[in-house]
Amino acid sequence: MLRAHNLYKSYAMGRASVDVLSGVSLSAKAGEFLVILGSSGSGKSTLLHLLGALDIPDRGDVEFHGKSVFQRTKKSREDYRNREVGFVFQFYHLLPELTVLENVIIPRLIGTPTFKWLSHRREAKKAAHAMLDRVGLSHRVKHRPNELSGGERQRVAIARALINEPTLLLADEPTGNLDEKIGAEILELLTEFNTAGQTIIMVTHDVRVAVRAHRQVRLTGGKIEKVAATKGSPALA
Amino acid sequence: MYKWFLAWRYLHTKLIAFFGIASVTLCVAMVLVVMSVMGGFLDTIRERSRGLHSEIVLDTGTLQGFPYYEEFQQYLQDNHKDVVSVTTPVIYTYGIFRVPATTYTRPSRVVGMRLNEYAQVNDFKQGLHYEHYFPGTTRLGPQRMPIGGIDDKQRLVLPADLEAANARWRESETDAEKKSEYTAHPYEMAMYPPYVTTQYPANRVYAFGDEGPGYVGPENSGVIIGCDLLNDRRNDGDFDRHLARGADIALTLMPISPAGNVTGEPPVRLPLRYVDDSRTGIFEIDDLCIYVDLDMLQHKLAMDPQTLADGGMTKARVNQLLISLRSGTDLETGKAIVAAAWEKFQESLGDQPSMTDMQLLSGVDVMTWEDLQRPFIQAVEKEKVLVTILFSLISLVAMALVGCVFYMIVEKKTRDIGILKAIGASARGVAGLFVAYALAVGICGAVLGTTLGVVFVWNINDIQAFLAALNPQLRVWSPEVYSFDKIPEIVNTWDALGVGVVAVLASVAGSIIPATIAGLIWPVKALRYE
Repeated sequence: MLRAHNLYKSYAMGRASVDVLSGVSLSAKAGEFLVILGSSGSGKSTLLHLLGALDIPDRGDVEFHGKSVFQRTKKSREDYRNREVGFVFQFYHLLPELTVLENVIIPRLIGTPTFKWLSHRREAKKAAHAMLDRVGLSHRVKHRPNELSGGERQRVAIARALINEPTLLLADEPTGNLDEKIGAEILELLTEFNTAGQTIIMVTHDVRVAVRAHRQVRLTGGKIEKVAATKGSPALA
Repeated sequence: MYKWFLAWRYLHTKLIAFFGIASVTLCVAMVLVVMSVMGGFLDTIRERSRGLHSEIVLDTGTLQGFPYYEEFQQYLQDNHKDVVSVTTPVIYTYGIFRVPATTYTRPSRVVGMRLNEYAQVNDFKQGLHYEHYFPGTTRLGPQRMPIGGIDDKQRLVLPADLEAANARWRESETDAEKKSEYTAHPYEMAMYPPYVTTQYPANRVYAFGDEGPGYVGPENSGVIIGCDLLNDRRNDGDFDRHLARGADIALTLMPISPAGNVTGEPPVRLPLRYVDDSRTGIFEIDDLCIYVDLDMLQHKLAMDPQTLADGGMTKARVNQLLISLRSGTDLETGKAIVAAAWEKFQESLGDQPSMTDMQLLSGVDVMTWEDLQRPFIQAVEKEKVLVTILFSLISLVAMALVGCVFYMIVEKKTRDIGILKAIGASARGVAGLFVAYALAVGICGAVLGTTLGVVFVWNINDIQAFLAALNPQLRVWSPEVYSFDKIPEIVNTWDALGVGVVAVLASVAGSIIPATIAGLIWPVKALRYE
């Protein structure tokens, strides 16, 4: 479903240039739960951003369902981020002025033209309520993010990422800002979605979290160091 | 859709937006007040100028005047009855006005008129004080001084003709509040006590007797005096009248010959009787002009037919001929017809006029009231444009302020921009969000500013009165400087709409740079923004 070819990415730091990714290639199959492991600064978040077309590689390409992501038009890449991919961030990144329901519904709003929205509004609200029900927050729809706990905020972020039913969920250390118990709950929720068929690529530095995945990719110094499959992985099938 | 949704949400949750709204509000209000006051000033000048003259004016611009005006009046009557309604001659000169038994003297512009005709060509009569409360009693012919009596109930009673005139006013006055304001005596209301006894001197006798209400003194020609020339203006815009109606006035004039020489030796001294005061609303006129009977003034200035050494007679002269057009006649068309008529009329005179008369006739201009006032109106028009431009430049500051406010909002919202881009918002969409936000700020500011401006303009005189009551130094509108005794209180709807639309556009323009910056923010950088 997703294939990254020989990705290179460097950033300028003052006068120096820091190579973050140096020829990374990987693939993910539909329904797979892939974890990218690595220490801080190993380039795992940069890789995730490239997979989600949030950034552009210096070299290399990402194919999604056999089509290049970076050779698409700008508009097509925006659609890719809106419909094909969902993002979950470590710090939740919810919009503070909006309620829980509005935060969840906003990707739908972005992806729907104004006049179409008027006729699809109810359907979108229904979908958002259903998604919030699935993440266990149907009682918090009218709350603002600052009225929620960390775990609840992350659940809202997951609901937002999945409202448009994307093929791929990209999660950047989703448990990194949570305590162990809440982190485990979030992980459990992600596993549930994966079991239901959701493809997930998750970045983490926590090995304990990684054991849940079908496959682990270890990134060191901007290169894939090791690929390890666990039992039941679609990669092994 | 999300642009409008988020713009609306930001609008009422972000305190900083209120600074943007406040700056637009104040700018709109400021520009609207300036435009309205200047526009009102201009409109008032136009309106008052129209009310001062007739539609068409023949004028020489000299003090000698021009002859053959009566013949021309007849010519118009015979040939252009369908266009010309009323014509009336006017004389103007300068003199020294004095109130006998006081040291009060003032230079003044003396206007000779036939009051009844003059009232038919313009609004002069509407500004007469006593004529309002005693209709039909103001006249410029010879007359004596009215004097009241005190009856057995200690009420002032005026001569019968004045009492009857006042009763007519009371019958026609529909404003019950105005009528019932003073109930002690029906005439005190018209006179605004406590000055009643100074306006109509009363014989201090009871039950009339032989010294009841009546007329005293010699028969002198009447004079109407500009209200600011004689009275004290109160803060409420009305006047304190210290001189009794019918009081003696002395006027000194210097006659001018057709050649332009001063002929009076010694100058002409006229005893007159103060019959009314006139309020045109233009300070320069109300503080300068006095009005007397045309035929009397013409005679005193030797502008009436004079016998020459050879036994011939000169022609009577006047300075202006006011011509009122029939209703429905276009002003410029009327002017063209009268100008053509004047040319034809001069040709028809042939060799009749003397050399001097020919010179005077050739100096006559046919003008509309707009032509006559054009230099003044144009100056005010230019002033209005200039002041509007200056205040609009100040409004650029508001635009810059909106730019600063939005730059700060974009800085503060950088991470939100990253989130929106991560979930599929385009650069144009993010920029559009901030433009929509600025549009909302502009619309709120324009609506509030227009409301504030309109309310301010509508109450501008009350506000000034309030400030002046706190401290007289705070009275900013001086009738001596701005001609009119009240600040114009009219807001032009198109001005208000125009200012509002420009404010919205300026607000949007102010947000363009910050919005473009927001659109260009790279999503990864925005998400990592601390």
